[in-house]
Amino acid sequence: MTELPTSWRSVLPHLTTPLPEDRSPDRAAGGGIGVNLPMELVRQSIQPREYWQIPDEVLDAYRKFRPTPLWRATGFEEAVGAKVPVYVKYEGGNISGSHKLNTALAQAYYYKRAGVAELVTGTGAGQWGTALAAACALFGLRCTVFMVGSSLARKPYRGVLMRMLGAEVLASPTGTTRVSRETEGQGNSLSLAIGEAVEYAAGKEGAAFCIGSGETYSILHQSVIGVEAIAQLAELEADVDAVVGCVGAGSNFGGIALPFHAEAAAGGTRPPRLVAAESSSTPKLTRGVYAYDQTDATGTGPLEAMYTIGSSYSIPDSHSAGLRYHGAAKLVSAMRHAGQVDAVAVDQVEALEAGRRFTVRETVLPAPESGHALAAAARLAADGAERGVLVCVSGHGYLDLAAYQQLLDGELSDQAPAEEALLAAVSGLPRVEGARV
Amino acid sequence: MSVEALDRVTVTRAVKTVVIAESRLSIDPDAVSGDEPLNGELLRVNSFGFVGMLVRLEDDLGVTLPDDLFVGRTFTTVDDLVAVVLDAVEAAR
Repeated sequence: MTELPTSWRSVLPHLTTPLPEDRSPDRAAGGGIGVNLPMELVRQSIQPREYWQIPDEVLDAYRKFRPTPLWRATGFEEAVGAKVPVYVKYEGGNISGSHKLNTALAQAYYYKRAGVAELVTGTGAGQWGTALAAACALFGLRCTVFMVGSSLARKPYRGVLMRMLGAEVLASPTGTTRVSRETEGQGNSLSLAIGEAVEYAAGKEGAAFCIGSGETYSILHQSVIGVEAIAQLAELEADVDAVVGCVGAGSNFGGIALPFHAEAAAGGTRPPRLVAAESSSTPKLTRGVYAYDQTDATGTGPLEAMYTIGSSYSIPDSHSAGLRYHGAAKLVSAMRHAGQVDAVAVDQVEALEAGRRFTVRETVLPAPESGHALAAAARLAADGAERGVLVCVSGHGYLDLAAYQQLLDGELSDQAPAEEALLAAVSGLPRVEGARV
Repeated sequence: MSVEALDRVTVTRAVKTVVIAESRLSIDPDAVSGDEPLNGELLRVNSFGFVGMLVRLEDDLGVTLPDDLFVGRTFTTVDDLVAVVLDAVEAAR
């Protein structure tokens, strides 16, 4: 039986080129400089070290829900006409209902050790907010969550759970922060919620802003998924030539897929295809540009090199709030640019239909976000993959049943961005040197 | 470089070298005084580059800076940074 990994595995030593440096916004000279991240998280983001020991306190917390199950989804294979085996790695079996707890626990541990008393964050669908609330409860930190208001209204029980865990939950836009007043609720709702959290944390002593996805260290923490999966597939004597995960900013995809790249690079073998499944309403990897863009709505953070549809683009509402982010993580973006990551866009209807089929045949209810990965896996298993497909089901869908209700009632639709709207949103962004335009 | 070999002169030079590089300058470290502001007319270190610079200092000098740098502490001059590295060197001995 596969054991819980004791180390996270970084792909940084195996990149063919270094990650592009962040660009800082122009600032006036003067004033002191503070350290805005625990040192270990900085080291994990920069140092090209392959293995990082998981702290004992985090391992103890992981043991309550890890290793997570991996199985061959024969019923789903049959339902989608698969020509090769489909293996599923399921991350929904913890209190947050998603993979987000893997990094929330690690971050809460490191921030606590750094002397922080309160963590503040923004969340879309609420999985990250729930995960952070749970991690803060475990490590004795206060927690404040700015959740996209439309998502909170749609899934009020997310708010209840976070409050049960001791967090303060605020519906964004709150109207109480400068950024929410200035944007008047327009633009990207998740980046606005994050922006509100950034502003709130900056003004409160003992508080720190933290983020669940996109940062290189959060992808490292999520590598526990892929490291486990590699061992579990070996135990089953199974072989896959495609690994699929859904992409909001990239931590779930990075977690399942990038350890396979590291494993192949270390062994001098050919890696499987790493396929990022994104929402067709936020098609940064398939229709975006590789450019320097903001990570949140405040405009105070660094500009990061990312595939983006533009931080100013107003993303249409959808049931996959976890995928409603304008850019992909700089690590995932760099690997996409280097040709090491493939991407496909999936419509909401196709995603939820894949989720419905999976529920019926595997008796596990996936989140709408995970439905995008399942749909992409179904495509590959029917045509493209030669030996097998591994797909990560990033979370459960028990708080997303309204979306499945709409699917059953035939009321679900899709809103892919118009080409002119995308062009307008990225027109002023500086392209990354050497990037195709 | 062993921690035992790290004295104030060595640490100061290492700190000046990294802040000069972070500021995208090509000047002699001796041209930077200890009371030079990190984010001023000459040096242009900002909070985003600062943490990465700390890790480079750790790598260059073989020391580990403490986690509690995070809380309630701001760095204004080159000497502020030298002091925290010297504290880490002392703790490692």
